[in-house]
This record gives sequence, structure tokens and C-alpha cells, in this order.
Amino acid sequence: MSKVDLVRVVLHNLIVESQAPYTPDIIVRHFRATHEQRLSSNELLHLLATISQKRPNFQTVITEVTHILKTKDPMYALLVFIERFSCEDIAGSHSKIEMPSATNQSSTGSPVGALSLASFAPSASTRSLTDDSAIHTLSKSQSIPTSTPMNCRRSEVSPVRSTGGLFGRRNQNLKLYHQKQKTDPERADLSVIKERVLMAVSSSSMSNYRPLGSTEVNLMKSSASIKTNSSTSSVLAAATGLPDEYRTHMLWDYCKVDGNKTVLPELGALPLESQQGVLLKELIHCLCGTRGNFIVPLPPDANSTGIAKYETYFTIHAHLDKSLTELLQDILPLASYFIGIQKMMAATDGHGQVVNSLNAALQDLTNDFYVLVVQSEQELQQQQLTVQKLLYYLQPTIWVMEELWTTLVNVQLNEFQGAAVLTHLHGRIKRLEGDRAAQQIMIKLTHQAAEPYMRMLQLWIQKGVIVDRNREFLVEDNEVVHQGELPEHYSDDYWEKRYTVRRDRIPSFLEKYSDKILRTGKYLNVIRQCGKRVMPTQQMELQLDPTDERHVYVINDAYYFAARMLLDVLLTENDLMGHLQSVKNYLLLNQGDFTMQFMDACEDELSKNVDLVLPMTLENLLGLTLRLSSARNDPYKDDLHCELLTYDLVTQMSKIMNQKEEYWQSQDRLDLSGLECFAFTYEVKWPVSLVLNHIAISKYQMLFRQLFFCKHVERQLCKIWKENSIAKKFSPQAAELYRSAFTLRQRMMNAIQNLEYYMMIEIIEPNWHIFIEKMKKVENVDNVLKLHQDFLDSCLKNCMLTESSHLNRAIFKLCKICLKFCDFIQLSQRFFLDAELKSMVCDSSDDNTNNSDVDQGNSNCPQFESSLDPTDTFSERVKRFDLEFTGLLISFLKQINNMAKKNTADRFMNLVHRINFNAFYSDQMEKLCVKDAMG
Amino acid sequence: MPSEIITLQLGQCGNQIGFEFWKRLCMEHGISPSGVLEDFATEGMDRKDVFFYQADDDHYIPRAVLLDLEPRVINTIMGSSYAKLYNPENVYLSKHGGGAGNNWASGYSQGEKLQEEIFDIIDREADGSDSLEGFILCHSIAGGTGSGMGSFIMERLADRYPKKLIQTFSVFPNQDEISDVVVQPYNSLLTLRRLTSAADSVVVLDNTALNRIACDRLHIQNPSFSQINNLVSTIMSVSTTTLRYPSYMNNNLIGLMASLIPTPQLHFLMTGYTPLTSASDVNNQQTVNIRKTTVLDVMRRLLQPKNMMVSTGPDKTNHHCYISILNIIQGEVDPSQVHKSLQRIRDRKMAQFIPWGPTSIQVALSRSSPYVQSNHRVSGLMLANHTSINSLFERALNQYDKLRKRGAFLDQFRREDIFKDDLNELDESRETVDSLVQEYEAATRSDYMHYSFKRAQENSKSEDAKSGGDH
Repeated sequence: MSKVDLVRVVLHNLIVESQAPYTPDIIVRHFRATHEQRLSSNELLHLLATISQKRPNFQTVITEVTHILKTKDPMYALLVFIERFSCEDIAGSHSKIEMPSATNQSSTGSPVGALSLASFAPSASTRSLTDDSAIHTLSKSQSIPTSTPMNCRRSEVSPVRSTGGLFGRRNQNLKLYHQKQKTDPERADLSVIKERVLMAVSSSSMSNYRPLGSTEVNLMKSSASIKTNSSTSSVLAAATGLPDEYRTHMLWDYCKVDGNKTVLPELGALPLESQQGVLLKELIHCLCGTRGNFIVPLPPDANSTGIAKYETYFTIHAHLDKSLTELLQDILPLASYFIGIQKMMAATDGHGQVVNSLNAALQDLTNDFYVLVVQSEQELQQQQLTVQKLLYYLQPTIWVMEELWTTLVNVQLNEFQGAAVLTHLHGRIKRLEGDRAAQQIMIKLTHQAAEPYMRMLQLWIQKGVIVDRNREFLVEDNEVVHQGELPEHYSDDYWEKRYTVRRDRIPSFLEKYSDKILRTGKYLNVIRQCGKRVMPTQQMELQLDPTDERHVYVINDAYYFAARMLLDVLLTENDLMGHLQSVKNYLLLNQGDFTMQFMDACEDELSKNVDLVLPMTLENLLGLTLRLSSARNDPYKDDLHCELLTYDLVTQMSKIMNQKEEYWQSQDRLDLSGLECFAFTYEVKWPVSLVLNHIAISKYQMLFRQLFFCKHVERQLCKIWKENSIAKKFSPQAAELYRSAFTLRQRMMNAIQNLEYYMMIEIIEPNWHIFIEKMKKVENVDNVLKLHQDFLDSCLKNCMLTESSHLNRAIFKLCKICLKFCDFIQLSQRFFLDAELKSMVCDSSDDNTNNSDVDQGNSNCPQFESSLDPTDTFSERVKRFDLEFTGLLISFLKQINNMAKKNTADRFMNLVHRINFNAFYSDQMEKLCVKDAMG
Repeated sequence: MPSEIITLQLGQCGNQIGFEFWKRLCMEHGISPSGVLEDFATEGMDRKDVFFYQADDDHYIPRAVLLDLEPRVINTIMGSSYAKLYNPENVYLSKHGGGAGNNWASGYSQGEKLQEEIFDIIDREADGSDSLEGFILCHSIAGGTGSGMGSFIMERLADRYPKKLIQTFSVFPNQDEISDVVVQPYNSLLTLRRLTSAADSVVVLDNTALNRIACDRLHIQNPSFSQINNLVSTIMSVSTTTLRYPSYMNNNLIGLMASLIPTPQLHFLMTGYTPLTSASDVNNQQTVNIRKTTVLDVMRRLLQPKNMMVSTGPDKTNHHCYISILNIIQGEVDPSQVHKSLQRIRDRKMAQFIPWGPTSIQVALSRSSPYVQSNHRVSGLMLANHTSINSLFERALNQYDKLRKRGAFLDQFRREDIFKDDLNELDESRETVDSLVQEYEAATRSDYMHYSFKRAQENSKSEDAKSGGDH
């Protein structure tokens, strides 16, 4: 079967050449026909002559076939015929080397086809030197290992060849040749073995040939090849400096094999004409990488590094005419470049998709080059080629090849891979601005080399999928856990860490768009994770055309599509703004009535130590409050939950700011009240959790805790205000005593309320306002995230919740002293109230009695004994509170003042203006300043 | 569940302004006169349940108790389209229906007699609310029912509900016209004593100033009751707007009051409102919208005495000052403007503040009802504690002294139980009001903290002795 296919292919080639009115099938039918129906021998011969007349050696072949026809089956004759021409087809112009070795020649008379074929060759070659180059016959011993297998291998190679039949003839042959080269050393040994086998069965008929070739030889191959293989390959490896496996390029650059001593014709003696002919022949072979006799490549230095590794130098026979030598020197670099390129292609095989694609492109160029060489050869055969002419033909190619070679050498030397190769190629295009031809080729190369990359890119920006086995693509998927497995913190890092750009894998022409590219796919993935189908409106083909920016439009289109879609999903379908409003209502206390009610409900529970607080109770109270307050209309109220953190605000802050450890991990509990540990938390589903992720919620919580604590203090102050208002019933004389307490309470109230006002009205509300305004114009989700983060950070910073300023500690201390004062007043209320009412009854408004009453009351109370001297009178104690509070407040204001001097951008100063609106504290602040200045 | 507030309307004046107040609240919350929520108002984020509760059939019913000793005003209300709004059980009319005859003592003793019935209503109302925050009392101080019965109820409320706030909207009589109520100075003084000792905060609505504002600012020659009451209802509704449209701050009554009232005695608040428009102005579009309304404009105008709803008289010594200020700003406000305005006011010293403590202008940005169209981009209400309010009390004292010196019209007081034995009640009231005046006076000085009433009294006593010597 395979044999027949081979026959058909060769016949087809011949028919195409001769333009004879036959088809391969017709010819085969003629030769296969039974004796009765068959055409006469002469007619068959005529047929063969017609189709092969274009071949130079057709007469010899026909003569041979005539002989065979007389004695053998016509089919055999056809096979011989085909064999003659097919070897020509396969070997191409430069490999028509026949191999009559000593052993072969002795068995000329053998009936076995292969040997008879072999035996015929020398006669042909000796008959006309012009036909098959004399030089090659001279070097026959050298060519044995390589050329013999070609003949013998035909049957094995033919299936491959038949599939390759779609390509042009020349290409096909080259490809075959290329494939053959891969296994060449092995084949070389095989051929020898095969010959021996055939010799051994020399008596067997033609029918035995095929099974031998296909089965027995294969069996032999495995056992016998091992012996010789090692020796031959080592020779070869030593000769080229390349390991065996790299010999995939189609070069014939084997170096001298020992024993290759032949007599060279005395070149100098030939006339210039002939010299040129011989030289051109050799030169053309040399251009394809074949070793010649007069132009000999210097053996590559195995130790050479850098650029020299890919350069080849030639020695030109000394007897050559000087003028020719000069011209040769101009052409030979081309051979060097070509060989270098081939070597590099071989060396980089399998170095990633981009390199492979580049090599494929280079392969095409190689083919073009071969066509050029073939054309030259044809001209040579028509005796029309001169060295000058050849130089003229090749000159543009030399330039281009040089450029290619330089480019590739750079790729090699820098060990570029993937995107770096593309960057390099793309960079070369610019550099070749003046050289149109080279630029065109470089553009084409870049285009083709970028194909796999652009395919990946297209897949990513249109589907959000990464198929990147060689890790060449600029986006990297770092998925560690699946969404379902770790729902709580999944979205925290998703945005930042799930997909990242590998900065070193970006081709230069995509550098500017890398962010967009990353986002596009990321958006698509988020959309997909929302359970929506991603259907780009138009699937545009993404290809890199280095001359224009079309790919940019495609990227932009895909980006805008994805951005718009995700934004739509987030803002419209998942109502992000509604969620944010809810978060603001609860965590930033915007829904004031809800906050107040919740505080009313939870006051008792939260005043306990955090270890005693029952989270279930809180959760129930929260649910109750949500359903009873104006929050009941909020569709997202069920997302709100209570959380008891195990650390106070200051700790949380430092943790978040440092982000060194997982800040949500619990650690040792401090002795904290429920109130200090309490925070709301807001749970949202994907994809809103992208924006309201754990970190954002933590920031909200920090704001919440400060606001909540201040609110709590304000409530306590209000409570004692109400309790104290009983004093309006007192006689005016008695009221005087408490005035200092009342005014201190008022100062505390003023400070705390102004702090709240400042945070809520001057910081959160305007920032929110800005945030909302910007959100109206937002274009993509990254912007949404950024705006939201800016909003939070700005709020945190201006609410003094940054680690750098220790202002929040001062606030905390202020709050604490206020609470202490509240406790004190509440406790003493009982005593001074009783005392006062008593005193009203007996109408004695003596200060001493009041104070002593208070003292008595206090001495009964162990709580005060610990913190305060029990012998203090009420007014003295108030005074002490006063001093402590004022001291704290003044230093707090002072601190802000100092900061405002350094950094005018912050709004802290507003708080000072608020608290000190009527300049009440100005004197004291100045005093403190003076004190500071003094020491 | 939220901090509910029960409104008590007493007497002719109290019921009239209360009626206007409820009308206004219904409008703002989108509640029809019959108590049904309008279709357009179902989605509101407002808090109706501070002032209303829902009946079984989802009608909104005001937490209001209407009390009067004579039927005229209440009958008018019950004859109006809002009749179905109120819970009829909460409307109490004295059975004998003779009124208090503009006599404080009569109102007081009638209140004492009727207290069981009245407190049945109030207790029921209080029990009906989950976390009652306090009471708002609407009355006038000059009449009989509002002042007399109001005083009695205030005292009782303070005893019965010591933890609840009592706020009053007290209408002070018009000084510019001669009152037909001759005992008005007695009534006023006696009521002032209760306002001082029993109420937690008193929003003073001075008829003198209201009339003046109606004439000068709204260009109404002879302002009618309803026009004046319209002003009053505006003040009442805006001052409660932060409770009904809760936001960050001031979302309960106590938070609102506590910062305004530093010491228990000084709890008389003035109000101011801008921009003012009357019904005629609305019709006459030309006069409207000629003024620019920015936050600063509003806040600056609120500090002008002519916009104050209390006629304090000229401050000759120019020593009076603000103890505290709360501005409730409504409308389209850029929050960042607030700070700029505050800075401007501070820099230009537009307002004078007490020297003995820190104070500032608190600004509450409040949402406003989406159902009421306002002609103004920004509007503002000021609640201020200003020392000059004592001129009002001084005036009341002077008028009382004049009358008392002559011993005029005391007979009808003596008829009632409280004055049966002696007129000590009057003297004590005078003393209380006098000390209030002194305390406000003292609050203008930096030594207020150490101000001793005893010393002040001694001073005044020596003056009294001189004047007594003249007698």
C-alpha cells in the first residue's frame, strides 16, 4: 500500500512536470494489467519516457527499464523507474548522491532491487560529471552513512510523505528531509544492517522484499542498531559540537569524518569559467549548510560563547581565483547566518509557545530561502549563473538574514522566552525603520510569533480563562481555595491577589494595557462567579499587527464591555449603594434612632464584662430593635449582626494598620467591658463582598467603635443631666454648691458632643457626599473599590483613627474620665439628693452639713475608697475631676494644634475650633504652651 | 418602641397651637386628616411613631391629650376635618364647662379636683408607649386653664414621672396690647414658678414678638390667631424634626435639651426661624426668592434679634450673651458649608457667648418632609439659651409688683384652696422668679461658677429695704 502511494506521488510529480495527459492511476493500471490486456513493452516504455522526459537522466533510466522489462514483470520495472526518480525527488538538488560502495558494486548483478538500483548509480555518475556532480562522487565514502538510508528508508517514510502531499513538491521534500534528519544517525546504522540483511536473502524474490523491509528489519533495528549507534553519534556530536537531539535542523554541516580523503581536482588548473561552475555548485550547497570541498566551514569551537556560538567561518580553497574569492567573502556570511538561524531554531525547540510559534515562522522563511536557492541552482544548470549574478540576487537576502540572525542571537544570548521574545521582536521593528524589506519580515515574524500569545490574551479578555501551561501569559491565577470552602475571608484578598500581573511577562506593546487586561478578565471571572453568563457582544479576533493598534481597540472594547457589565451587576443587580447606605446607617450611626434604641436595649448587657456578655442575647435584642425602629423598612437589615471582638479599639487599630498578623484571630482577652468590645458587623454575599470585604468592614467597625463609645458617653452625660435636673427644685442657695459639678458636666458634654458633631457632620457626612458624587460617574469596579477605600481612609484619618497620631488614645481617655465622673455623680446623687431634700425640710442650707452627708455616703461606698480619698468633700472631688478632665482636654487640643501646624491639610483643627468656639480654653492652652516653652 | 412623646394641650391657647401642630405633623408625615396614611407616603424613612401610634386598623393616632375646662376650642377642633384624627378618649372636657375664668387659682384647683380623670388618660397613654421619653405641654401662661391647670399637671407629672422629660411650649402674653385679663401678672408669675421648678425645658413663645414679627417681617397689619399659630406650629414642628427624621445627632429629646441647658435653672429657651413666609407671600411670588439662602445667610440671620420669637427689649448694657445655641438647618445643604459658616461667625464675633464655660453653635442638619414643598432652599430654626430672656421675667415681676402693691384682684384668688390661708404662694413665686432673674444675670458674668445667691439676695434685700423705707 505504502509502496503504491509512493509510486503515485512520484508519478504525479513527473506528470506535473511533463504535463503529460495521464494520471498516476492510469499508468499504474497499465503496468498492473494482465498479460493479455497489457500494452506492449515499447508502449510502456514510451509512456515512461513521456512523463520523465523533463528529467535530465531520463534516458539512462529508460534504458535500464528497457532491460528490466525484457526479463521481469512490468510492475517491477515501474518500481525501478519510480525508484530512480523518487530518490531524485527526495534528495533534492543537493543530495543526489549515489552510493556505490565497494561492497555494493560487487553485487551489481544481484536480482534484489535495492542493490541493482545501487549498482546502477556509479555508471551514471561516471558517465556524466555534469549531471551528478563530480565532487560528490569523489566524496562517496563520506556520504555513505547518510545517503544510503535515504534509499532504504523510502518505504518507511512514505506514509508520512503521502500525508504531506498537500504541500508543494519542494516543500514536501524539504519537510521529509527535515524529519529524516532527526533520526539520521540511527538510520545510518540501519541502512548498513539492512543492506546486509538483503544480501543474506539475496536469493529471495521481489515479493520478499517488502516483508523484509517492514518487519524483519524493524526487528533487527532494535537489536543491532545499539552496537554502532553509540560510535557514530559520538563522532557526529564531536564534529558539530551539538548533541544528537539538537540535530533537527536540516543542515549537512557534518565535519570531516576520518578516512574522507579524496583527491580534489586541481582547481587552480581549471579555467575561470569552470572554476566558477564548480564554485557556484559548491556555494549553493554551502548556502544550504552542506559541507563542501573548496568552501569548508571551520569546525565550531565547542567552547565559544556569546555571539560566536552562532557564527560559522569558512575557509576557501587557496587556489581559487582571487576575484572569485572576494565575491565569495560577500556571500558566505549569508550561509553563516542561515546556519546560525537553523541552529538556534533547533536549540530552542519546545521553549514555550511563543518560541515555537516563532520557529514555525522561521521555518516558513527557511522554505522561502530554499526556493531562492533552488532558483539559483536552476539558473546554474542552465549555465546562466555567475558569482556576480548570485551576489546580486542574494544581496537583499543577506541584509535581511543578517538582521534576523542578529535578532535571534539576542534572543538566544538573553535567553528570552515568551513575552520577552515578543518585546524584543517588537523593539526590532522600530529599529528597522529604514530597511523596509527587513522590517516587513520582522513584522511578519512578530505577528506570527505573537499568535499563541494573542490567542491566550483573547481567551482571557473575552472569556476570562487562562490556558497557559508554559506560564508565559501576563496574568497569573493564584487561586488557592475555592470560593465555597472559605466563605468568610474569601473576598478579602480576591481582588488584589486572585489574579496578578506578572510584570516580567508583559510584551512591550501590551505594557500600557496590562492593567486593563488584568481587570477585564478579572471582571469577567467575577461576573461568572455571580452565576451569570459572560457573553461578549462580539467575538473579535485578536491578532497582533505591529503596524497598527488594532489589538488595542479590541482590548479596550473587551475592557469596557466587562467593566460596564460588572458595574451593572454590582450596582444595579446587587444594589451596592443600598448596601453601603445600610452600612452607613448602622455602622456609622446615621440611623440615629436605631442606635439609641439599640443602646437602650443593650445597655445592661453591654455594661458587663465581655466574658459575661451573651452574644445570643445581643443578637436577639438587635433583631428586636431592627424590627421596631425605623430600620424595619430596610431590606438589608438582616445582614447586620453583632460581634464581640476580643480586643479594644486601640489594639484593633494597630493590627489593621500593621497588617502583620491576621487581625481577626483571637488573642488573649483583656479585662474589657462588653461595650468596649462590641461592634456591629455586616455580612454580604458575593459580589458585594468584594467592596464590603473584611478589611472594609473592619474599618467601618473602627469608626463605629469610636462613635459608639462617644455616643455612650453622651448618653451617660444626658442621663446624669436628667437626674441632676432635680436640682432646679432646690433652693437657689443649695444649687450653688452643685454648680461646679454641673458646669463640669456641661464642659464634658460640650467636648463629647462636639467631637461627635465633628466626626459625623464634618468628616463622615462630607466624605460620604463626595463619595456618592464620585460614584455617580464611576466607570469600573476598581474605581468603586478605590473610592470606597478613599472614603473610609479619609474618615479614619480625620476621625483620628490612625496609628501615627495617638489622638484616639486621648479621646479614649477623655471618654473614660467622663464615664468615671458620671458614675461618681450618679452615686453621690443619692446622697446629696437625700441631703438636700432633708435640708429643704429643715430649711438649713449649711454647706458643711451637705458635705458631711456626702462624705458619709461615700465612706459607705467601697467603690470610691479605692479611687478617691474618702475624706474628700463633694466639691473637692468635683474639683479633682475638673482638673483631670481639663488637663486631658487641653493637652488633646494642644496636640491637635501642633499637628495642624505641621499638616494643614487635615481637618483636625476644626475640632479645636468647635470645642473652643467661644475661646473659653484659649487662656489655658496658651498657659500650657508657655509651660511647654519653659521646659 | 422609640422614645415616644406625649403631647398635652391645655386650655384655649394650648389647644389652638396644638391643633396647628398636629395639622402640620400630619402634612409632613403624609397622614390624612382622618389619620390614614396617604398612598404617596408609605415608603417614608421617617419616624411617625414618636408622635403617633397605630390603631388596630392602622390609622395613625396622635399621642395627644386635649384638656380644657371650657368647650369652645375643643368643639371647634372636633368639628373640623381633623376630628377623627384624635383618640376621643384622650379629649377631656370639664363637665361643668365653665372654664377657669382666666384665674390661675381656679385652674389649679380644678386640676386638683379632676386629677384622677386626667391622669387616667395620661397614665393610659404612658402605658401604651414602650419607652416614653417625655411630655410636651402646650399652654399659655397668662390664662386660667393653661396656666393654672397646666401648673398643677406639671407638678404632678414631675412627681409621677421623675425620669421623664417635661418640655413646654409656653405662650407668653403680648405686652404691647392691654390685656382683657386683668390678673394676667398673677397668673404669669404663678405659672413661671412651676415652669422653673417642674419643667425640664421651656420653649418661650412670646406673643409680643410673634405679633411684631407678623407685622414687620410678614407685613400683616393685624395678625390673626391662626397666622400667629402658624408661626408657632412651624417652630414646634421644626424643633422636633430631628426626632422624627433621625440622623446622626439629636435624635432624642434629651440629647436635644441636655446640651442647651447647662444648669437646671437656666432652661428657658428662645427660638428664631428664618426665612419666614406667610400665606400671602407664597401667593405673591415676587417677594419670595429674592433672597439668597446659604447656610451662612441662614445662620447669620438667626443670630439677629429681630428674628427672635422673644421680645427681650433693648439690651442697654450689652452684656447679655448666649449660653448655648442649637441650629436646626433643613434643606439642600452641603455639609462642608456648615464649618465655613461657623468659622465666619466665630471670626466676626457675630454672637456673644458666656465667659464661664465652653459653648458653641451646634448645627443639626435635618432631613425635612418630602411631602411639604418649601420655597426656600435652606431654612433654619434656632433654639437658644440666652441670658436676655430674664428681661421677660423682669417684666412679669414688675407688672406683678405693681398689681400686688395695690393688692388688686386678689379676692378671686383667695376663694380657691391654695390661697385660702395666706398669699404665701404668690410671695414664694415671686422669690423663685426673682432668683431666676438673678441667676440669668449672673450667667452673663465670668464668676457665675462662684456666684452666690445669698449675696445677691442680700444686695437686693438692702435695695428692698430702701424701697420699703419709701413706702
